[in-house]
Amino acid sequence: CSMAGEEDFFLEEKRFKQHCEEFVKHSQQIGDGWEWRTSKDLGDGYLSKTHFQVRNRHIPPDLKEKTNDNIEQTLLAHVEESLDDSQVAAVCTTDEVIRYEYHVLYSSSYQVPVLYFRACFLDGRPLTLEEIWRSVHACYQDRLQEGPWDTITQQEHPILGQPFFVLHPCRTKEFVSAVVTGPWKHNRHKNYIILWLSTVGPVVGLSLPLSYAKVAPEQNS
Amino acid sequence: MTDDKDVLRDVWFGRIPTCFTLYQDEITEREAEPYYLLLPRISYLTLVTDKVKKHFQKVMRQEEVSEIWFEYEGTPLKWHYPIGLLFDLHASNTALPWSITVHFKNFPEKDLLHCHSKDVIEAHFMACIKEADALKHKSQVINEMQKKDHKQLWMGLQNDKFEQFWAINRKLMEYPAEDNGFRYIPFRIYQATTERPFIQKLFRPIASGGQLHTLGDLLKDVCPSAIAPEDGEQKTQVMIHGIEPMLETPIQWLSEHMSYPDNFLHISIIPRPTD
Repeated sequence: CSMAGEEDFFLEEKRFKQHCEEFVKHSQQIGDGWEWRTSKDLGDGYLSKTHFQVRNRHIPPDLKEKTNDNIEQTLLAHVEESLDDSQVAAVCTTDEVIRYEYHVLYSSSYQVPVLYFRACFLDGRPLTLEEIWRSVHACYQDRLQEGPWDTITQQEHPILGQPFFVLHPCRTKEFVSAVVTGPWKHNRHKNYIILWLSTVGPVVGLSLPLSYAKVAPEQNS
Repeated sequence: MTDDKDVLRDVWFGRIPTCFTLYQDEITEREAEPYYLLLPRISYLTLVTDKVKKHFQKVMRQEEVSEIWFEYEGTPLKWHYPIGLLFDLHASNTALPWSITVHFKNFPEKDLLHCHSKDVIEAHFMACIKEADALKHKSQVINEMQKKDHKQLWMGLQNDKFEQFWAINRKLMEYPAEDNGFRYIPFRIYQATTERPFIQKLFRPIASGGQLHTLGDLLKDVCPSAIAPEDGEQKTQVMIHGIEPMLETPIQWLSEHMSYPDNFLHISIIPRPTD
C-alpha cells in the first residue's frame, strides 16, 4: 500500500473524532443505529453498529451451477434491527439470519479510519474467513481474488482484544482516492467518515442511507 | 565492548525450552507422552509446532482432530504474538521448561484468531512489517522493495536464516542522513491485566531539540503507571526479549536492535517478583 501523496488522504485523530461525532448525530436523527463507544482506560473510542442480514439458503438446483456469489448477492436483503423474536424465528426456518457488528476505529499508523466487523449466525457460530470472502459484494470479487490476504483478514481488535475481520487500510486509500475528485484539501469540508464509509462499507455488506450525503460539517479550522 | 551486531544475533537465536502436554480431556487411543522443544523467541507458535502436532495426532483418532490451539494455565495463547512476547508476558518468572497445554477441540472463537495454513501466518507477519514501515518511513522503503524481497523476509523467518532475513531487513532499519532516526517508533506495550490487548501510539525517537528519546521517555508518555514514582518502589518490570533494558537506553537504538522480525518492539509490563 502506498503512502505517496498521503498528505492527500490522511485524517488526524482529532478530526476523526469530530467527524465521528457529526456522523453519530445524523445517525441518531434518522435512526440508523450507530453509536460511539469510549474506552474506559485511555479515552479513545470507536463507532459501533449491529444489524441483521437475511441470507436465503434455498437456491433452486439449476441456479446452483452458476457462481454462488452472484446468487447470494441478489438474495441478500437487509432487515430492520427491530425484528422481534417471533419474526426472526419465522425467518430462520427457511433462511439464515446473520448478525453483523461493525466498528470504525482510528489507525494512528496509517492515519485513516479502519473498518472492523464480525458476523455470526443466531446460534452463535461465527462466519469463517472463507464465508466472509464469499459474501463480499460481486463488484469487488475481482479485487478480492487478486489479493485476498491484503484485503480482508481476521485480526485482533486493538481495543477489545477479540477476533474481528478487518478491511485493510491500504485498500482504503485505493477505494477512497477513486471516489474523491481532486486533492483532499478541496474536500476538507466534507465528512471523511461519511465519504469513506459509503465507499468501503458496501464491500462488506454495509450501506449508508442517502440522507448522510446532506450532512454539512461545521466550519472547523 | 560487544558489537551492536552481536545483539541482533542474540535476539534472533533466543530460545525457550518448552514442554507440550496434551489436554487431559482429549480422547486418545494410547497414553500421550509430553513433547519437549526449544522454541525460537522470534517466531510464532503455529509456525514451529508441526512436530508437536504430528506427535499428538499419532495417539488420536482422525475424527477427534481439528484445529490445534495452545493454552498456558487456562489462558489461550495468541499464536499471532511472537513466542518470546507470550513467554515474557505470561511465564517469565516461573520455572523452566515452559509448560504449554495442547488442544484439538473446542477452539476458543472469542479469544483466538484462526490459523488454517502457513499463508495466514505469512499474511499477518507481512502486515506487521508494512505497518512498522508506515510508521518509520511512511511506507517508502517497504513499497520500493520487490515482491521477492518481501518473500525473503518471510522465508528467512520461516527457515531460521539470520543472514537471509537481515540482508533485506537492514534496509528497513536505515534512515535518511539528515534525520537522526525513524519518523515514529513501531512499538506495542502489553500488560496481562488489562482488557485492552496493547497500547500503541505515535512516538518520535528524536525530541524537537535533537536529543534522543529514551525507553523511560516512551513509558512516561504512553504508560506512566509502568514507571514507579521517584520515591516509591518499582512494582513492575519492563521486559523485552527476556531482559530489562535500562530506561536510559535510546528508543531509536532499541528499535534498530531489539525489534522482533516484524520490526515492532514488543514490550511487556509484568509484576516484579516479590521474593
